[in-house]
Amino acid sequence: MTKFQEYFHTDWSGMTGTDWFGFLLTVFVFIVMVVVYFWALNPKNKDSIESHRSMLMDEDERKSEKEDGRE
Amino acid sequence: MVAMQAEQEQYSFEIVKWFAYMAVVYLVIGTGIGVYIASELAWPVLNFDNPYLSFGRLRPLHTNTVIFAFGGSTLMATSYYIVQRTSGVRLWSDKLAWFSFWGWNLVILGFAITLPMGLTQSKEYAEMEWPLDILLAVVWLAYSFNFIMTLSIRKVSHIYVANWFFLAMMIMITYLHVINSLAIPVSLFKSYSIFAGVQDAMIQWWWGHNAVGFFLTAGFLGIMYYFVPKQANRPIYSYRLSVIHFWALTFGYVWLGAHHLQYTALPDWTGSLGAAISLAMIIPSWGGAINGMFTLSGAWDKLRTDYILRFLIVSLAFYAMSTFEGPVMASKTVNALSHYTDWTIGHVHSGALGWVAMVSIGAIYHMVERLWGTTMYSIKLVNLHFWMATIGTAVYITAMWVAGIMQGLMWRAYDDYGNLAYTFVESVAQLHPYYAMRAAGGLIFFLGACVMLFNVTVTIRKAIANPSAKMAVAANI
Repeated sequence: MTKFQEYFHTDWSGMTGTDWFGFLLTVFVFIVMVVVYFWALNPKNKDSIESHRSMLMDEDERKSEKEDGRE
Repeated sequence: MVAMQAEQEQYSFEIVKWFAYMAVVYLVIGTGIGVYIASELAWPVLNFDNPYLSFGRLRPLHTNTVIFAFGGSTLMATSYYIVQRTSGVRLWSDKLAWFSFWGWNLVILGFAITLPMGLTQSKEYAEMEWPLDILLAVVWLAYSFNFIMTLSIRKVSHIYVANWFFLAMMIMITYLHVINSLAIPVSLFKSYSIFAGVQDAMIQWWWGHNAVGFFLTAGFLGIMYYFVPKQANRPIYSYRLSVIHFWALTFGYVWLGAHHLQYTALPDWTGSLGAAISLAMIIPSWGGAINGMFTLSGAWDKLRTDYILRFLIVSLAFYAMSTFEGPVMASKTVNALSHYTDWTIGHVHSGALGWVAMVSIGAIYHMVERLWGTTMYSIKLVNLHFWMATIGTAVYITAMWVAGIMQGLMWRAYDDYGNLAYTFVESVAQLHPYYAMRAAGGLIFFLGACVMLFNVTVTIRKAIANPSAKMAVAANI
């Protein structure tokens, strides 16, 4: 066994229920993270995601004195 | 002005005002205690042989005051402000909001009394004894519940990214605080952690680094994603980048704690994992910093005249710097030199003063003008504060970098016979000028905070005494 293999060697038979739960949760979360990256970086989704960029500017428009005609 | 009054009626801003003002007060108190204990290290005579004034008791009072009192009040002020404005609704419950205000201040009063008395669980950034831990958890849950319920009744379909960062903070801090604080009480003010040995250390640093990651980073990124675009009056540079920043930070940060325990009884692979994820975290952290800074693309000239924007942008520079420095220090090679030295203190303060405090100060100045419908009493004093905060931070962290690297090199220097080249006391003696320099840097930052308290107080008093439509228009309200 090389040093590299030894470093990553896992005693699978010694895994407890808690170990398996943590291991599977970790892998699941990692997959979700990768899916999110693909979703966010997919050019097809660019316009829909970037449409929220100006949300704060719109907020000012909604609340401005000009728009609500209070002044 | 009329619009401002309508806004005040539409939203629950009274609670925001109180949290924002108390944040400034706690900034002065927290940094003031910090300057005193920094001076104690340079000039130990300041202990006055009084246990209540000793470094060991005042240091947790300093950290709890700046983190929970100043940082917590800032987070509650800004999150209550942002969630209302981005959702287009009042807070779900004013009563719950006021409960969170008084409850939070009761927690602060509690640790201000108990920590100098030496009543502590001895867990870093979680020193409070169990009754205060429970009170903190109840208040935090009330605050989080109110925030989430406000989102649930929003009139805008999209939840703005700043609110996502606040949500991540609320969920993770609840989880971290409860687990880390699990203890068996043996009296009203004494308890023992249910964890022992290296497990206790791992849980402690799982909390410790995520207090940094979710309380002092995620929450303050929420502040950044709202106040940088608002103050610059420009949309955020890339919303996609903010989405990736959020998920990468949320998924990644929880793994970092083990890098605080390199070369200890913790299994080696755990520290390696902590270091590896720490290095990977440079990418989302820099992505976020660039996103904030590039928001000013095509409008950099605003930095010449907008002193509040300067605080926000310089905070991002410090954020980028400390999120590069942290992963470098987490790597085993550098950690062998930096661990247990003052370099760590320098790193923490480049994040705490340069990032957390600066972005908070910028946000508070912005809110003061909006909430009271006025402009700052003195823009010159805001500018003075900016330079005092920047110079104070730079002096502080430079002193600690030099001191820490010197400490590390002295501790591991050997002579030809394999004996230590220096005694520990010799390394302490060498630190004196840098400890004095650190106290000076902290003093400059503290005096800047005093300038801010004066400026904010006078601004509010004048706004209350003389509400003016002209001033409100000047404040873009």
